[in-house]
Amino acid sequence: MSKLNPLNLPKTIAWFFRGTWRNAERVIPRAYALALAFVICFLTYQAVSYLIVGLLKPSGSPPQITQLPRRMDATLFEVDRRKWRGLDATANPRTPPSHYHRIGDWIEPDHQSGCTTSGCHSPLPHNERKEVRAFLNMHATSIHCGTCHMKSDRAPLSLTWYNLASGDPQGPPAILQAYDLLTSDEYEKQRNSPDDAFQDKLTSLLRKAAREADNLPALENLADHVNAVRATSDEFKQLLIQARESLPRHFRGEYGAKIAVRGVGGDPVLSHPDTEKLVAQYVSQKDTIKGQDRRDLLNRIHPLRRKSPLDCTECHRKQDGLIDFARMGYPPARANALVDPIVVEMIEHINKGTPFHMPDFIGVEK
Amino acid sequence: MRSEVNNMERRTFCALLVLTTTAFVAAPLSADDPDNCLLCHGFRGLGRIDNETQKIHAFYVDPDYSHLRRGPHARLACTDCHKRSEVSVVPHQPVTHVDCARQCHLSNPNGIDRRFSHDPIQSMLADSTHTLDTLAKLDFRGGPILDKDQSACLYCHDEPYFRLPLDVAPQLAAVTQRGIDRCNVCHAETVPIDIEYDLNHVLARLQPSRSPLEIAQTCAVCHSDPKVTAEHDMSDAVASYVRSFHGKATLLGEHQTADCLSCHVKTGENAHLMLGKSDPQSSVFVANIANSCRSTQCHPGADPAFATAAVHLDLPTAHGSIEYALAAIFIFLTIFTFGPSALLVILDLLQIIVGRTHHPSHRIEKLAKDLMASAEGRKRLKRFTISQRFQHWCLSILFVALVLTGFPMKFADRAWASMLVNMFGGLSTARNIHHWSGILLFVGFSFHVFQVVVSSLRTARAPGPDGQPMGLVKAWLSMPMWISPQDVRKTMQLFAHLLFLRKERPTFGRFSPAEKFEYLGVFWGTMLLGLTGMLLWGEQYASHFLTGKTFNLATIAHTFEAFLAVIHVGILHIYNVIFAPKVFPLSPATITGNTPIEKLVEEHSEFVEDAAMHMGKHLKADPTA
Repeated sequence: MSKLNPLNLPKTIAWFFRGTWRNAERVIPRAYALALAFVICFLTYQAVSYLIVGLLKPSGSPPQITQLPRRMDATLFEVDRRKWRGLDATANPRTPPSHYHRIGDWIEPDHQSGCTTSGCHSPLPHNERKEVRAFLNMHATSIHCGTCHMKSDRAPLSLTWYNLASGDPQGPPAILQAYDLLTSDEYEKQRNSPDDAFQDKLTSLLRKAAREADNLPALENLADHVNAVRATSDEFKQLLIQARESLPRHFRGEYGAKIAVRGVGGDPVLSHPDTEKLVAQYVSQKDTIKGQDRRDLLNRIHPLRRKSPLDCTECHRKQDGLIDFARMGYPPARANALVDPIVVEMIEHINKGTPFHMPDFIGVEK
Repeated sequence: MRSEVNNMERRTFCALLVLTTTAFVAAPLSADDPDNCLLCHGFRGLGRIDNETQKIHAFYVDPDYSHLRRGPHARLACTDCHKRSEVSVVPHQPVTHVDCARQCHLSNPNGIDRRFSHDPIQSMLADSTHTLDTLAKLDFRGGPILDKDQSACLYCHDEPYFRLPLDVAPQLAAVTQRGIDRCNVCHAETVPIDIEYDLNHVLARLQPSRSPLEIAQTCAVCHSDPKVTAEHDMSDAVASYVRSFHGKATLLGEHQTADCLSCHVKTGENAHLMLGKSDPQSSVFVANIANSCRSTQCHPGADPAFATAAVHLDLPTAHGSIEYALAAIFIFLTIFTFGPSALLVILDLLQIIVGRTHHPSHRIEKLAKDLMASAEGRKRLKRFTISQRFQHWCLSILFVALVLTGFPMKFADRAWASMLVNMFGGLSTARNIHHWSGILLFVGFSFHVFQVVVSSLRTARAPGPDGQPMGLVKAWLSMPMWISPQDVRKTMQLFAHLLFLRKERPTFGRFSPAEKFEYLGVFWGTMLLGLTGMLLWGEQYASHFLTGKTFNLATIAHTFEAFLAVIHVGILHIYNVIFAPKVFPLSPATITGNTPIEKLVEEHSEFVEDAAMHMGKHLKADPTA
């Protein structure tokens, strides 16, 4: 083997590239031809088998016709337990056997809550006490589990809204801000001498509220209409009245945001800290781990858990309520409605399991 | 007649103007939700999952249904359907199932209350094929669909919504409150009527409350269930429907096509009176089918014989029928025409893969280069004239348009089909494009045939080698695109060469047998597709001359021939003119009419020699060839 001469290096490199190019010239056309032959064989097979199978084998009705939910059961949630989704009934318009009332898009999934994304708890987690389970689940779309279930020695609780899409802390939902605008002193002023800035602000809040409520058509239309008329017109004044009357109908927990415990630094506490590995361990062993081991593991997974969760009346009451609704951005009218003595009375009935007749109150501003 | 139609359209238009305001209306005249149920039931999260059954109990009810008067039940209180004694206390008592035939309470804005019940409708079922007894005994593959004691109405009905005919006139969605305002001048106080609600109600009933797709889905709950169909000795009627012309249009989102009820419900009656096909009163009884097909909404101008067409034709279950035989013949033809062509291409690629090279004759190569050096030589070696290239590009564009607008119908159950149709703006637009592309293609085809005839006549009149005119038959048979016995022989030689059974690769004249075969395929295909397409398009007129079965056969011929054309062009022709290594990225012949010399010498040496002969140029035979 001859010694490597530095002066020959360019020649060696040139020789190497020439050789490589010569090989490539031979290989590339062959590879191209092979790929083409494969594609043609594949397409031919597909075409011929389509013809033959289509003639010989009855295929039944296609999925568009038959694959509709027959029953609303938990499997509808279980596309991916780590990202619980709401039932998208709009994609499955034929629902009579599953649910008589058309429900459209159902509950909004919370991709931020560690309780559900862990795959441990469903988006409708309460199912034990008949008297309260459905009511508690009703709150689950606007309040994070930790609000009632995590320890906190502060009164009122230190809470924050968090965005369901990003998990970031945010201000009050747009619909609350819009209603605040319509029930504030500013509203009376605007009714007498409205201005464009107010109109723009209201339109923008209504549009945002519609988006946050899963593009709710009623709010979208209201926003369009508010935007379409002149701020100084009588129509605008009429619309203000209408908006003020109709907005409370949409206080249904569809805010694109939830209330959660406010942690250090202002971020929402959406899961128990440093428990990922324990959660993974639990998920992998949940069918086998029993007894004290199970209890111990669950205790370690839930270090912030309250001994007993908050009771409804601890928040829904005027005196010393644990949620300061006004601070959370609820307009006074709405905040007062939520802590109305009738509500407290109602909750007490529910807790005691004593039947009572539904009072005609807070739903719509009378 | 025409003015009547216009008046009706105008009236409908005016009504629709009002209708379209439903999304944004003044507060309804009567109270929403008098029992205040939506205070809780308006929350989407109100519900639970049963631990034992894993069934979701969703108690949510869309509040906008009653607030915005979205359906005929919007003015009802919850307790009109649910027993007040069960739901007026919280927590509610165990709720029994709703009896749809129960009397409910309608309160009008004029203060007059009326009682209403669906009992007469339910009673109609007793005389129909869907008796309550039959429905009660349904046994589904996946277990019962309804709970015991749940109303059988729920097999077909969910919460009724006003389905406004906006698909007919979508531009009306922009109309505002003014329509209702005009009505309310009188109807708000003087003659109080809930205008918005009543108009919605009436206009929504101008068309079925469900789209054809939803109706098919509803019927499929039973008629596509294997256990139900087996027990009642029925075929999967919905499966065969969605393979029909109507069914495919339904899958593609068409609202104006025939659905199950269009044929199975007699004019003037309703779905609750539907009868089995063996009942002489049924709209689909053999003697009545013609009338059903020829209703004013469907095919009024058709001949009664049109009704002999099989609407529920599902080929795999139609053994022994002429339609099945025709489909089998087409599949046979497809395999035995496309197959050899595909094999030829694959074997050709195999030569490259194994590195087998064919060295064309140096003599022909030199001759070709010599010819290309002169203007006359280049002219003589041009394989495609301007007119032919122009026709080819027209054909290409129209072919693509026809495939894009026609194939979604063939593959209507695929997701891409709906996407494609929506890209064209709906099935009606796609269909119009398909029809007009077909017409243009047929015009182009007629022009080509005219050229062929003129060329044949010229050849027939021109003096032959013996000085006498050739005659029309001889001239026609001498057209260059016919496949001659020599072409067959050379094709066999080519196969032998590609299979390593013969050393020399045969060479051809101006057009290779494969090109001639493709040309004749296009010729035959255009005729067949054009004729069957026109027949299907003008089905009402054509039905006076042909039986209904002809339309089934025409559909099969049209769809299978189109499939053959697509796979031939999409796989083989595209390979030959774009992806083949010798022409990639595009054969210049499609633009300039010239074939690259390398390909010319290798595959069309006889064409080169003919051109040289005409120019009086000859080279000595190549001893190495």
